[in-house]
Amino acid sequence: MSSVTSHSNLETGRGRARGIVSRLDPKPLVAFAVAVLLFFTVDWISPGPMTYFDVSFQASGTAPLAISAMGQTLVILSGGFDLSAGAVISFVNAVLATSMSPTDFEASVTLWTLVGIGIGMAIGAFNGFFVAVLRLQPIVVTLSTMFIVQGLTLLVMDQPGGFIAPSIGNFYMGDAIPQFLPMSVVVMGFAALFWSWLKRTSYGLGLYAVGSDADAAEASGIPVILIRFATYVIAGGFYGLAGVFVGAQTGSGDPLVGNALLLPMFAAVVIGGTRLGGGAGGLIGTIFGAFILMIVVNILLALNISAYYSTIAEGGVLIAAVLLGSISRRSVLATQIRQIRDGFDARRRGLHVGQRDKADRRFAFADRLVGSAAGEATRAGFLERHRGTLRHALPAWVCLMLVLIATQFVLGNTLANWTFWNSLLVLSTFLVILALGQGAVILTGGLDLSLPWTIALSGIMVAGLAGGSDAALLWAVPLVFAIAALIGVMNGLGVVALGLSPIVVTLAANGILQGAALLYSDGTPSGFAPPLLRWLMTGRILGATPVLVLLVLFVVAGTLLLSKTTFGRRVYAIGNSLAAARLSGVRTGRVTIGVYVLSSLCAALLGILLTGFSGQASLGMGDDYLLPSIAVVVVGGALITGGRGHFLGMVGGALLLTALQTLLAGTTLPFAFRSIFFGGVVLAAVIALRERRS
Amino acid sequence: MARAFKRLLAGTAVAASVIAAGPAAAQDGGEKYDIYLSMSYIGNDWQAEASNMIKAMAASETLRDKVNLEVQVAGPNAQRQIQQINAMVQAGADAIVVYPISPTALNQVVRNACAKGVTIIAYDGEITEECAYNVTIDQAEAGRRTAEWLVEELNGEGDIVLVTGVPGTSVDTARTQAAKEVFSQHEGINVVGEAVGMWSQAVARTELSKLLATRDWSDIDGLWMQVGCYTANAMQMESGAAPADLKPCAGEGSNGGRIQMLAEGTEVEGADGPYAPKGARRISYASPPYSGALALKLAVDILEGKEVPQHTTLPLPIVTNDTVQLCEEGSWEEMQSGCNAFKPSIVANPGWFASIFSDQTPEVGLNAALVAEPEK
Repeated sequence: MSSVTSHSNLETGRGRARGIVSRLDPKPLVAFAVAVLLFFTVDWISPGPMTYFDVSFQASGTAPLAISAMGQTLVILSGGFDLSAGAVISFVNAVLATSMSPTDFEASVTLWTLVGIGIGMAIGAFNGFFVAVLRLQPIVVTLSTMFIVQGLTLLVMDQPGGFIAPSIGNFYMGDAIPQFLPMSVVVMGFAALFWSWLKRTSYGLGLYAVGSDADAAEASGIPVILIRFATYVIAGGFYGLAGVFVGAQTGSGDPLVGNALLLPMFAAVVIGGTRLGGGAGGLIGTIFGAFILMIVVNILLALNISAYYSTIAEGGVLIAAVLLGSISRRSVLATQIRQIRDGFDARRRGLHVGQRDKADRRFAFADRLVGSAAGEATRAGFLERHRGTLRHALPAWVCLMLVLIATQFVLGNTLANWTFWNSLLVLSTFLVILALGQGAVILTGGLDLSLPWTIALSGIMVAGLAGGSDAALLWAVPLVFAIAALIGVMNGLGVVALGLSPIVVTLAANGILQGAALLYSDGTPSGFAPPLLRWLMTGRILGATPVLVLLVLFVVAGTLLLSKTTFGRRVYAIGNSLAAARLSGVRTGRVTIGVYVLSSLCAALLGILLTGFSGQASLGMGDDYLLPSIAVVVVGGALITGGRGHFLGMVGGALLLTALQTLLAGTTLPFAFRSIFFGGVVLAAVIALRERRS
Repeated sequence: MARAFKRLLAGTAVAASVIAAGPAAAQDGGEKYDIYLSMSYIGNDWQAEASNMIKAMAASETLRDKVNLEVQVAGPNAQRQIQQINAMVQAGADAIVVYPISPTALNQVVRNACAKGVTIIAYDGEITEECAYNVTIDQAEAGRRTAEWLVEELNGEGDIVLVTGVPGTSVDTARTQAAKEVFSQHEGINVVGEAVGMWSQAVARTELSKLLATRDWSDIDGLWMQVGCYTANAMQMESGAAPADLKPCAGEGSNGGRIQMLAEGTEVEGADGPYAPKGARRISYASPPYSGALALKLAVDILEGKEVPQHTTLPLPIVTNDTVQLCEEGSWEEMQSGCNAFKPSIVANPGWFASIFSDQTPEVGLNAALVAEPEK
């Protein structure tokens, strides 16, 4: 039974890969249909008629997201991930706004567009060098680039302002054919045409090959390095163009303007039918994905959805749009339903596997083999057995040593100072806790973006429920954990039963949880952390903060959970190959749901501890923990695509990032330089994790 | 818990009815003005409080019969706010009240809205487009006056720590630059540490913890913070400082901070732990959350043809140890007579912003900020 389903899953995978050749991939068409449907819905429910101006405005408003998401799609097709995209948009916008002469109202559109695209491509080349040539993991490289570019942007422009010539605004916001065709549509059309051409070149073929299976592509003689490098450069060009567009749209610069586009970009890519992980999808669907995301704004307005519900509604739309795109007889949801029906049927007829007698059916020679092997094998030495793990987990610890030594030199009063160690460990606790949950999810090849509001909701609930009473913690904490477990189950079911990409499910969940937190707290979280919780985070036993005991227990338990238990081994098995794990009899669905539950529980624990640390809960308390949670896992040696990584490495990653921030906080460097430094050190740290070419 | 569930359920029911009534309700504007509110990100205390006050203002006797208010959230993404404002114009808005994500990014859509006769009024943040109305405080003045206070408290000498806001925003830049200018004029003042506080008590705590990993409180003589004095005082007391030894702190107008400013031993209902009178030396200022409610009121004035200046600069709500005073109920009348701090038994969240009084907005008091209920 199970072998049949996984076989059909493998088939679907192949089928997608074959879709490169076939012209009629249904996913972009579905995205297109949904976008058109939404557009007419808006037209129907809005009081006024949709005029040419509204359509044109809609198009030019969507263009920055659509164009940058197209670049992101390229990177994702190659099997990568680009977190620097939003920062590049801000940077290009800031550079243009500060370099144009405020007296020149007729600045050349061509020149400045090329400048923007060029800057984007240069940053893309930086990413490309580290990803393609040095074979570093895209997510860490681009995360570092993001910090560096954000720092540079603040150096160029420390507050909104500057000037972008009206000629550029008039060109991009204007009409190609008056009252008929807006320029923004033409630009997106050109980008789409460029892609249609690019797809048919040998680069295009190579892109899909690399994204599907880089080793196979390499073996077939495809220049993998060159293709990856080119991908980041071209993607950078797209972000640069988006930056120019933002400038045209706003007539000025804002150093933060692009940062918020990052998450919607991923949503647009996935709604447009591109598979995260690479190899299947395309750039055309992404354009419609962007339109769908932007038109939701109009729908929320037309339906008068109240403010607290807007993130919930958006989460719903995101899931619905992606589900709609995947409806087919071969979709995971359909397969799951079929499977449940078949299982039920088999049980009724008494043919289900679970109904067979439980006799041992091993072949006779298996026993002999096991017996003899156990006798002969000699236990390998510690280093021998753990060489792989050490190679990936050690660099974080080595870098930590270096940062600590640097701290001693720069700030003094460090290594022999217990207060320093105590603060470092307490602050690291937060990231260590997240690393276990996010790490387990990443080990299975997923990603949990619902952490920020799981943290906030848990913190707000524990403060609100306990209301400052220690006794109330007895039931408030278990209740909060139960709710977190439920959140994890929902995330897991979304991934397993609906077959949606983890990014979509958890991004939507984050929006829904934000709405829930706002509704629960009515916008004003109430209550304090009970004294016990405050003591745990800020009190002292023998000079140490009590939470350090918890930290030690947590690290031991986390290590054992991931490396010594059956659950842990199954997590690795799934990350290495879902199909192989399933064929080996692992109930992959349950384990996958398990890691999301673990992740939510860890987030809830963090929410509770943060509430104790601050003395109260606040709405945005989880916002600053999403990217660091991913960073520590990857800096700790885990592979973002799953299957590799050790919890102790991630612990090293958490300590490293906290130590680095502590060092930077101790200096009086301006924030821009700190950001650049931070990115640079993270990048340097992962160079040690480099995949050697075999 | 049961209460929370009920609230969620009730909420869902409201949402369902809202969806059902949606398009129809939007159309029967009747005699009332259709005014829209475009907020940015609502995931923090200030925004939620400001939105409560705006809703209360719309429900007050003054505006109840004049205004149809619809509240929408754009999130942190400027592109979406641009689109949202345009959709509001298209939906027939008479006026749009905006919490601008960016002072400059909205200029073109605002110009376009003005051209169609829609009144645009921004609160707290500023929109630089000329046709927009703005309601703000003078951020540079806020930075300057608080810095001057700190210099005076320290008699012109001491090592201080700065905790700033969100880097790259004009509010943060204006405040920080003005403060640094003051500090640089006094040779005795040394800035020994600078942290990015993101206008959040929680971030202020982690950042201060990092700073203090390599320093001791005794190395610091004073603090200048945009948000976080309440937390800084709590941290000093955790590390064993007596209330009398708390460092002078120039910072935000959180209610927790105001309560700490009251003389030690003052009887305050609900006081607990660090959220209690400590006699802390403070100057407390804030971007007042009533600015949105005032903007709504001004928007109606503009629509009714009254003369309203393009830029309304609100008086800087500054409270020092000499002027801090506990409110009994928190009604507008009571605040008018000078009280400016609220009992923890009523305001359970110490990070809640206490600068809610304006002599121009008798419609909104404490209940408006807490639960969106107008005074009358």
